Amino acid sequence: MKESLLEILRCPLDKHELELEDAEYDGEEIVEGTLVCPECGERYPIEDGIPNLLPPDMREEAPA
Amino acid sequence: MTDTETPPEETTDTETTTAAGGTDTIGDDTAAADRRAHVRKEYGDVAASAGDCCGSSTGDGEETAIETDTAVEADPARASDLGYDPDDLSEAPDGSNLGLGCGNPVAISRLEAGETVLDLGSGGGFDCFLAAREVGADGQVIGVDMTAEMIERARENARESEFDTVDFRLGEIEHLPVADATVDAIISNCVINLSPDKPQVLAEAFRVLEPGGRLSVSDLLATEELPREIRDNPDAVAECVGGATTVERFERLLAETGFVDVSITEAGQWSEELPIVSARIEARKPE
Repeated sequence: MKESLLEILRCPLDKHELELEDAEYDGEEIVEGTLVCPECGERYPIEDGIPNLLPPDMREEAPA
Repeated sequence: MTDTETPPEETTDTETTTAAGGTDTIGDDTAAADRRAHVRKEYGDVAASAGDCCGSSTGDGEETAIETDTAVEADPARASDLGYDPDDLSEAPDGSNLGLGCGNPVAISRLEAGETVLDLGSGGGFDCFLAAREVGADGQVIGVDMTAEMIERARENARESEFDTVDFRLGEIEHLPVADATVDAIISNCVINLSPDKPQVLAEAFRVLEPGGRLSVSDLLATEELPREIRDNPDAVAECVGGATTVERFERLLAETGFVDVSITEAGQWSEELPIVSARIEARKPE
């Protein structure tokens, strides 16, 4: 995902802004890392460039 | 939602029905989760198998797909019928058109250079790439899909293409991971019918649109109430027909959400057996 898009990205649950942690880059693209919601504490992984912003109950059943 | 202890027998007959009858919302969380899980599995299989038709059963013999007229191959003639022109097909990355749509939402969305576009249920990414062509280098296109296999495919397609303004994320259209009032146009192609909570999908779409922002959707709608055995059949839902709401209810739902300039145009009969049409759905968030 592109870092510039963080601006309009929000926590799917409470729509709070997300903070990026442990980011690994490939050029301008964030390929690995974690998006953290400081409001509810939920953590959303970025894997292979794809942020997983499914609500937690959907994420648990999602295939890896 | 997280209450997995709820016995399944409690999930019957708990749907929220509107005054006109039919189902726009499955009130029971477990039933809604079951529907989502089934749809996601079906589309995950489609993505993994290179995708040959809308939610057709690929699997284990236990699932019996209802024979309807919804099997769509991603061939050029079919895409042309849906409103795509030959340039659309040649310029989007190979493999991005999985033939799962029922119209061409980009064509009706009148995108302009520099706009931000959100695709609800982006699948293989085909419509996102077409939208990216319209909004140009200063615009951006975001595809949201709840199926990991679809998102991975779309991302591979993006890598192979020259489109670097398209970004995909795993998300649920009922819980959009997008800020308020940041999107100029929302597109969606044959996805909202799959949602067990259509009012919430529309509320979320309304929330993320900028004032004056447009909703341009191709989807299947019913011209009369569908029989209950179709509405309750998970395979019929995954094939985009079981969850189709009626034209009138969808129109009313859009108005209740706050949309204005609502227009629903029936584009063509979709099924020979069922009263289902493909429709162009347009609406606008007030300024």
